[in-house]
Amino acid sequence: MANLNVISICGSLRKGSFNRIVMNLLPGFAPEGMQIKEAPPFSEFPLYNADIQNSTGFPAPVQTLADAIRAADGVIFVTPEYNFGIPGALKNAIDWVSRLQNQPFAGKPVALQSVSPGPVGGARVQYDMRRSMVFLDALTLNKPEIFIGNCAQRLDDKAGKITDEPTIGFIKQQLAAFAKFIAAHGAKG
Amino acid sequence: MDVSDNQVNVLVVCGSLRQNSYNAALARALPGLAPPGMALTAGPPYHTMPIYNHDIQDATGFPADAVAWADAIRAADGVIIVSPEYNWSIPGGLKNAIDWVSRMKDVPFKEKPILLQSCATGALGGARMQYHMRQCLTGVDSIFFGKPEVLVTFAAKKFDEKTLALTDQPTIDIVKQQLAGFEKFVRRLNGKK
Repeated sequence: MANLNVISICGSLRKGSFNRIVMNLLPGFAPEGMQIKEAPPFSEFPLYNADIQNSTGFPAPVQTLADAIRAADGVIFVTPEYNFGIPGALKNAIDWVSRLQNQPFAGKPVALQSVSPGPVGGARVQYDMRRSMVFLDALTLNKPEIFIGNCAQRLDDKAGKITDEPTIGFIKQQLAAFAKFIAAHGAKG
Repeated sequence: MDVSDNQVNVLVVCGSLRQNSYNAALARALPGLAPPGMALTAGPPYHTMPIYNHDIQDATGFPADAVAWADAIRAADGVIIVSPEYNWSIPGGLKNAIDWVSRMKDVPFKEKPILLQSCATGALGGARMQYHMRQCLTGVDSIFFGKPEVLVTFAAKKFDEKTLALTDQPTIDIVKQQLAGFEKFVRRLNGKK
C-alpha cells in the first residue's frame, strides 16, 4: 500500500477538547501505510479582511497551513459544532486559505469527524463543512460518517482514550475507506 | 434625528471588515432608508476578539470586546446583520463573535429579533450565508424576520463606483420596505406600541 500522508485539523482550540482527544488517537487507528499528522495551527490567524491581503499579503501562518494542505494526500477535519455550525475560528481559517492562488482544497480528498457531548454528534457542522468544501471543489468522503455523540459515555477524557469499542471500529472503517478513496481519486495515483 | 423612548433601537452588524465592502456600504445606507420610528446604531467592533478558545474563557473570562458586543446586542430592540457570503457560508470572523457571546450566561441573541441582508457580486446575493445564519442563530433562540428578503445581487452595478452610495432604485425600494416591516415586527415582538 502506498504511503499516504494525511493531515488532521482540529476545530477546537481548548486543551481538553474531546475532538482533539479523538484526533490524537487517529494515527493508531489508521490503516497500514497511512500517516496522520496534525496540521499547522490557525489560532494566530487574524480575522479575515481583504484589506490585509491586499496591503501586507497573506499572513505567514496562512501560507504555512496552505502549504501543508497542498502537500498532504488528504485532510481529516475533527471538529465540534458551535451554534449549529462550523466554529468561527475554523471557518476563518478556511476563509483565508480559500483566497490563495492555487487554492489548496481544490481536488483534495477530505474526511470529516465530529465529537459532541450532545446526542446529535455534530451532524450540523459536518453538513455545513460539506457545503463549504463543495464550493472549494474538494473531494469529501461520503461514507462512513463519524458522529461521536454523547461523548462522555464514549471517551475517557482524563486518559485521552475512546472507551466505546464500536466507535473505534467505525473510525478504523472510515480511515480505511479514506485510504481507498485517496488512492482512487487523489492527485497522486 | 429625534431619539425618543418610543423609537425602535436597532443595532447594525456588518460581516465584512474591508473598507470598500459593499455590505458595509449597504449598512451605511440604512439610516437614510429607515422609517422614522427606527433608530440605527453601528455595532461595536468584533474583529478584535481573539479566536474562540474555552481555555481563555476559563482563565481570564470573556474578552472585553465580546462583553461590549454582547451588551450592545442585549440593549438593542433588534439586530440587522448585513454580511457577505464566504465559501457558501458565514464569514468566520463574524461566526467567531457569535460563538463567543453564545457562551455567556445571558446569551444576547436569545429571543432577539433579527433582520438579514447581504450583498454579493454574483447572482445569488449571499443567499447561502443567510440560510446558514438562520440555522446558526436559531440555535441560540433568535427570532427571524421573514419577508421581504434583501439579497443584493451583482452588487458592483448597484453602488456608486467612487462613493459606494447605493444607487439602484429597486434595491432602495425593497430595503425601505423591509426596514418598515422590521419595525412593525420588532414592535409586535417587544410589545412596544
